[in-house]
Amino acid sequence: MSTPAAVVWQKNPDLAWREIDDETVIISPHDSVMHELNDTGSFLWKNIDGKKSAAELAELLVENYQVAPDIALSDAQALLDEMSSRKLVVTVSATGGVSL
Amino acid sequence: MSTPLVNSGRGPRQQFELSIGRVTFRVQMSDPKLFGAASARYRAFTGAAAPPIKIALNDGALAAGRAADFAYEFEGAALRAFRSEIRFDGVRNQYALDSLLRVLLSWKLLGHRGFLLHAATVVRDGKAYIFTGRSGAGKSTVASLSPEGSVLTDEISLLRREHGMWRAYGTPFWGEFRAAGLNISAPLAGVFRLVQAAENRVTPLRPLAILRALLPNVLFFSAEAEANRRLLEILSQAATEIAGYNLAFRKNPTFWEVLP
Repeated sequence: MSTPAAVVWQKNPDLAWREIDDETVIISPHDSVMHELNDTGSFLWKNIDGKKSAAELAELLVENYQVAPDIALSDAQALLDEMSSRKLVVTVSATGGVSL
Repeated sequence: MSTPLVNSGRGPRQQFELSIGRVTFRVQMSDPKLFGAASARYRAFTGAAAPPIKIALNDGALAAGRAADFAYEFEGAALRAFRSEIRFDGVRNQYALDSLLRVLLSWKLLGHRGFLLHAATVVRDGKAYIFTGRSGAGKSTVASLSPEGSVLTDEISLLRREHGMWRAYGTPFWGEFRAAGLNISAPLAGVFRLVQAAENRVTPLRPLAILRALLPNVLFFSAEAEANRRLLEILSQAATEIAGYNLAFRKNPTFWEVLP
């Protein structure tokens, strides 16, 4: 039986971002598109460091927002998927490969 | 204003010095027609107090292997910025020169905590009012409704943070309201996002909303991540330090009555 390689998340290194009014504003230089993250998205964004998996990020949501673990995991995964579709974050496999 | 230069193999080069928002350039070219047009166009902005950055216009091929710090191409004209000089090539008329100057200035202002904004700037009681918005939002209308001599630009405003304070500078970059421009500056009263409406109304904006108002109207041409990080840092600081408003306005001078 094979086990999926641990996948961790990191910010797309090509982006520019700032926190303002408790929200995060992200600029994609290639298409000049501005993205905004709300409170939860900003919290997740701050903790995306190229070392944490979705499950580990969900644990931080549980600690910080007092939500049930299963809801936190589903929220974290949904936010990561959304950020990934906008090319704001990338996954890094256990073998070190990066994919957009 | 102009100084003939000797240049082997080509016609004699002439040069003039430009100061826009206290960023200074020395533009050198050998095309007398273009020189005449450009030096007339920028006559209100000539003369440089600080040591200028040299811009060589249509000066021929570069030695191979030189990587530019910043490069940009626009309708056949190319800008390449190196540590000690700037090259503009393929510049066929003053409009191409004007476009490359805007691109260059937007990049150079990063080092001076400044930026270019699609906006009209009007000085009233010693303060600069910045009216921003996309084409058709009313920048030229605001300029045309303002007293002669008070409009620093109707199209491209230059904002810089100096000594802890934001100032607006005149630019030679104009839209419909043609004029030579005024090479003066004033501290900011505020940034106003224009919305044409049946009545005049001003609404204060939070910093995030100010950033939202600024970003789509900022002139910036680099896709390089570090340059964009620097720009966003400058804009975020501006958004937290500058007063910003939505301005719904009628097309007559009564809008001044509601401004803070």
